[in-house]
Order: sequence, then structure tokens, then C-alpha cells
Amino acid sequence: MKIWAVVLMCLALPALAQDWKLDPAKSQVRFVIKQMNVPTEGGFRRLVAHANFDPAKPESGRFRVDVDTASIDTGSAEGDDEVKRPAWFDTKNHPWASFIAKSVRRDAEGRYTAFGDLAIKGQSRPLAAPFTLTRHGAGWLAQGRFVLKRGSYGIGGGDWADVVADDLEVRFNLVLLP
Amino acid sequence: MNQHHRWTLVGLHWLTLLLIVAAYVIGSLLEDMTLSPLKLKLYAWHKWAGMTVLMLLPLRLLLRLSDRFDHATGLLPWEARASAAVHGALYLLMLVVPLLGWLQSSAAGFSVVWFGVLPLPDLVGKDKALADVFKELHEGSVNLLLTLVVLHAVAALYHQYVRHDGVLARMIPWLRSKS
Repeated sequence: MKIWAVVLMCLALPALAQDWKLDPAKSQVRFVIKQMNVPTEGGFRRLVAHANFDPAKPESGRFRVDVDTASIDTGSAEGDDEVKRPAWFDTKNHPWASFIAKSVRRDAEGRYTAFGDLAIKGQSRPLAAPFTLTRHGAGWLAQGRFVLKRGSYGIGGGDWADVVADDLEVRFNLVLLP
Repeated sequence: MNQHHRWTLVGLHWLTLLLIVAAYVIGSLLEDMTLSPLKLKLYAWHKWAGMTVLMLLPLRLLLRLSDRFDHATGLLPWEARASAAVHGALYLLMLVVPLLGWLQSSAAGFSVVWFGVLPLPDLVGKDKALADVFKELHEGSVNLLLTLVVLHAVAALYHQYVRHDGVLARMIPWLRSKS
């Protein structure tokens, strides 16, 4: 009888998966990059996320995050203007950067790694993003960070490479509401 | 004061002048520059020069205080007072000007990493309006510092060419051997 209970549970699980809506006011995608070895923090003001998962089994869920590249905040107005140019994000031709998770691995209780493709400036590269999933009011908070190579997406080349580090850390806090 | 310390004092005097002039020239250039890799480099160099002036200050004060030279020798009472006031103001501004720059950097959200190696703590949190206030004060105080540097140099030249009292030779030792 026990085996049937497990089978039934597995069958029932997909039905428990639901769409979760991003709370944009409480969600953030930020980054830290070093210029002249000075850690400088920035972020994106506008993001969209699609998440469909069963909180009991997030590893079978679907996640997608899109970031409006023109909504970048580098900490200074002239910095914002600069990084929208073709040498950086080329926001006119590539208004969105997206991460689509293909699979999610459960690492520990509440800890996961999303494997998928991160597409920026028309180039798509595989990315593994570890994150935690914790209860947040009636919804969930997905929180994590990963390191990116700026150069691998053709962002900020030329003379800038002398002053801006190749590595940057991306930090995300996504509040997902039912 | 022994000869070794004397040379350190003289060396630091001219090194500080060089750093102040370099920081001032770079700072003035930054005013009119649009963002570029060079601008970020100049910003860093400007901050490194200024922070070096600040870090050398305790050592300079220590040497100055251990120097037994009587700065009032051959001066009228008002001259001695003016000299002490200008020297005091110079030391004070060498503390205040870099400190205001450091405060401006912190408030602007761009920390100072001395020579790209030593991260200095932020003195205040990020606050754009506060950064603008510190920027004004930094500029105002550096103009006062430059004015006093010029006054200090003019007084030294006056001692050398009008009073012939060897005061300038204290900072330019080869002047003494020549005369």
C-alpha cells in the first residue's frame, strides 16, 4: 500500500505547482563590479520574472527572469549613460537580459541551484545560479548570487578593460507572491 | 634634531608639495571631463595623492614637534604670530582637505582604495545631497590651502632675497652651501 501512496503523491505533485508573481517593489537584481579596484554597486530598476513551482518540490519548477538593461543604475548619471552604449549593454538593440532555468537541483533544505542559460547582448551562455528559497509572508523569497565574466558577453571592452574588472558579482532577491 | 630626521623633514615637505600640486591639477582636470577610462584613472590617482598627504601628516607633525628650531628667531612679534598662524593653518588644511575629499567619496558611493590595494572605510553612508555639500567644502578648502601655500612661498622668497636670513635654506639645503 505504501508504494501506492508514493505514486499517488508524485502524480498529485504537478497539480500543486502554481504561478508566482514577482513583487517588483521588493525584488532586486544588483551587482558589484570593481573599477580601479574599487568595489562599486549598481542594479537594475526594472525586472520581470515568471516562476511556476510547487513549494514542496521547487526542483521541478520553471523559472525565468528578465532584466530591462536600460533600467541600469550604476550609481552616477554619466555611468548610466555610458553603459547603455554599444560597447557595453547596447540597450537599443538588446533591451532585455534573460535567465531561463532549464533545471533546478536541490542542494539541501531550502538551498537550490538553477541551471540554465543567461542571455545578454544577444549571447547566450550556460549559468549555474545557487539560491535559497525561504518563506516570505504568503509568498517566497529567492535569494542568491553568482559571478559573471563581463568580457564573455562583450560588455565594456576596449580601453575600459584597463579600469573595469572582468568579474562581477550579481546578487538577486526575488519576492514571489501567490 | 639629528641630521637624518632633518632630511626626512625636508624630503616630506617637498613630497607633500608635489602631491598637493598633482592632486590639485588632476582635480581641476576632472571637473570638465566626461566619463572615460582615463577619468576613472585620474579620479583614483587624485584620491591616492590626497590620501598620501593625509597619511604623511602625523609623521610630519611628529618631526615638526621634535624639531627644536626656534621659528620666532629674528622676527617681530607680529611676524612670529603670522608665521605660526600660517604654518598652523597649513597643517590644519592638510588634514581637512583630504578628509573632505574622503567624505565626498564615501557619500558619493565610491570608496577609496589606496593605490588600489588598501580599502579605506567609508566615513558616511551613500547620500547624493551630502556628497554635493562635501564637494563644495572640498573645493573651498583646497582654494584656501593653495592661497596659503602661495603666501608661504612668497614669505620664504622674502626671507631669502630681502632679509637674507637663511630661512629658505632650511628647506633647500644646497642654498646654504652656495652662500
